[in-house]
Amino acid sequence: MPEDLTPNDLDLPSQEPGDMSAYTADPAMLTDFIVEVREHLTSIEEKILHIESTGADSGDINAAFRVFHTIKGLAGFLELSDIQQVAHEVETLLDLGRSRKLASLSSIADVVLQSMDFIRAETDRLELVATSDGVVPEPAPSLVSADTIIQKIRATASSSQESSEEHQPSAAGDAPSAHDIRLPETQPSSAKQESTRNSSLRVETAKLDHLMNMIGELVIAQTLISHNPRLLGLQDSRLTGDLALLTRVTTEVQRITTSMRMVPIGTQFHRTARLIRDLSRQVGKRIALSTVGEETELDKTIAEELADPLLHMVRNSIDHGIEIPEQRIAVGKDPTANIRLAAYHTAGQIVVQVSDDGRGLDRNRILAKATERGLVRPGAQLTDTEVYLLIFEPGFSTAEAVTGLSGRGVGMDVVKKHVEKLRGRIDIQSEPGKGATFFLRLPLTLAIIEGLVVCVGDNRYIVPMFSILEILRPDESSLSTVQGNGEMATVRGILLPIVRLHERFNLVSSTRQLTEGMLIVSQSEGKRFCLFVDDVLGKQEVVIKTLGATFKDVAGLAGCAVLSDGRVGLILDVHAIYRTPPIQAFAHLGAQASTASADNHTQGVD
Amino acid sequence: MESPAAAAVQTNQRPPALSIPPVANDLRAGKHLVFRLASEDFSIRVASVQEILGIMEITSVPQTPLSVKGVINLRGRVIPVVDLRLRLGFPAQAYAEQTCIVVVRTRPAGFDLLTGIIVDEVSEVVNILAEDVQDTPDFGASIPSPFLLGMARINDKVRILLDIDEVLKGHDIAGQP
Repeated sequence: MPEDLTPNDLDLPSQEPGDMSAYTADPAMLTDFIVEVREHLTSIEEKILHIESTGADSGDINAAFRVFHTIKGLAGFLELSDIQQVAHEVETLLDLGRSRKLASLSSIADVVLQSMDFIRAETDRLELVATSDGVVPEPAPSLVSADTIIQKIRATASSSQESSEEHQPSAAGDAPSAHDIRLPETQPSSAKQESTRNSSLRVETAKLDHLMNMIGELVIAQTLISHNPRLLGLQDSRLTGDLALLTRVTTEVQRITTSMRMVPIGTQFHRTARLIRDLSRQVGKRIALSTVGEETELDKTIAEELADPLLHMVRNSIDHGIEIPEQRIAVGKDPTANIRLAAYHTAGQIVVQVSDDGRGLDRNRILAKATERGLVRPGAQLTDTEVYLLIFEPGFSTAEAVTGLSGRGVGMDVVKKHVEKLRGRIDIQSEPGKGATFFLRLPLTLAIIEGLVVCVGDNRYIVPMFSILEILRPDESSLSTVQGNGEMATVRGILLPIVRLHERFNLVSSTRQLTEGMLIVSQSEGKRFCLFVDDVLGKQEVVIKTLGATFKDVAGLAGCAVLSDGRVGLILDVHAIYRTPPIQAFAHLGAQASTASADNHTQGVD
Repeated sequence: MESPAAAAVQTNQRPPALSIPPVANDLRAGKHLVFRLASEDFSIRVASVQEILGIMEITSVPQTPLSVKGVINLRGRVIPVVDLRLRLGFPAQAYAEQTCIVVVRTRPAGFDLLTGIIVDEVSEVVNILAEDVQDTPDFGASIPSPFLLGMARINDKVRILLDIDEVLKGHDIAGQP
């Protein structure tokens, strides 16, 4: 809630009798309404902020007007009188703006945003109703009543009309001016996006996942037919042509299905715009936001999982990185700081960058705090990156005092957790006095990875490409041992330890000679090592599946995938393989199991 | 690929609703799928059987008990496969033409879980009446297995009623092989 609301603004019996009818309405309709209203509000939030920062923009105000008009209509249909009335008042206000009867458009943005918050809070409450068998939850204590909002809107409307003053004190007067927030220029394609948005259809993710599974099966079935030895023997040009057509169509279907899960990252960027606006006012800093690569597409699940880390990183920049205007002027910087969000694809990954031009990370201060908290031994020699990564430790904070904004040490460890969950990586670059940049490197999709199929004996495994630095066949001269057992290989002049996969998994391998197998150079938490396998079979894009609850505790496996011949291949978690020693308790079982599995191939009947 | 017996099995058919007042035996009565393990006839309720597959290539998962043979691809769904012989303490035997994977559905934690169980041979589907069912005899100090629901004697043949939920409950890697 905005800070300028006093407890007097809350009047408790806010429940209108008309509102009750919605609780008996068709839950499906109510759910549709909630989803639609949220989408609409998200779509115009950026526009309202744009109006606030630039003043008039007829395109933006028209779009906002339409949205509130739609919400009013929908709410009226469901007899949600609170939402309907608020939407109606905002619509009236925006209409005044549209017909240029307001002295300044930027002054109305604050109350419009508050109305949006109100409608959001109401839909949140409705969602609870829809999912809890009609039990009507009490309005949240912080929720402002519809009447208060309506009065505010009316007051804003009349004061903006009467007065010709540029700026109305509708928001906290002591906060920096709303003009300090500059938003990215509206994309020229936004009009086009709007027209296509109306022709979209909402589909349950579970259905999409099922479709993905079935497409995977289709691709395998198609491969089996195309490689059928009997068909290959036939010299039939028509059959060959038809098969080629089938292959082409299947590939295209697979591509389309995959793309259905992809969404542009722009929505997540826009969410931070609101946070920056509110926070910068609170702490008295001036901040401009710029974004690059809003159209970069990534998997919906990743995009959603990214929302929290982005907010926490922006919050961190505002609180720790960016100086107050006076300090910035003192060191000769523009009093308005910049936060830059960028997203781009690179080498099968998506990189999300959060940069600010603040004071940068303070190496000595972080190190001192970390030593104090016992995270680092006194006198330890750490690289800059190692020091910076300390800020992601749970409970770590360099803030002197706990403020409403930060200092509790939660936040950055949330970022780390989320990013690890997404199989991503964080890098930090920082220059004292010039600013810091956080790089999040994430996979394009959680559903599909590019993997290297390797074999050990009769077992085939998939090594995710993102964890591979290079693949090589070692020669005798590059190999050495430590105290007779620790094996090492010299790769590009650096000694790297060798981990034998067959030893970790207790497999029967076809070769014990390092020079007859392959080394996969990989990296785990900044440390490089070589994974030894029998052979590399090729590269394949695979759809990741979970191994299920039965195998959830097996170390070293990240999941599984159906290979092109229909068999299941296990995906290796290279990091875990490097970290965990072979489990002794199951060593004997493993050895037997692998012999038994080798038997499967001879005994198996297809 | 499927054995003739498997093809005859109507797996989607649920046992008829019980109209007589339930006694302890009734829960064990109904249609059962009978299969053979080391010359003994075991049976599980047809209601928990999804389908029957011929033996196929199984991807073994490292660091798991011996009885967990690995995973198979069931039309895009990856499911674990347990060798019932090893799970019940019978000696291992090479897989043959009649070896089947019975895909069973259990609800260990409120959600459906599919698991393949490897049996020597699927023989038939029988309707077990409540009066056919007897409790497992008391073997004194040595209990043969905690997984038995009881025995059914039909046409002088004994079928061992297996509690498949119980059998598969502890087959995670922490369980005994």
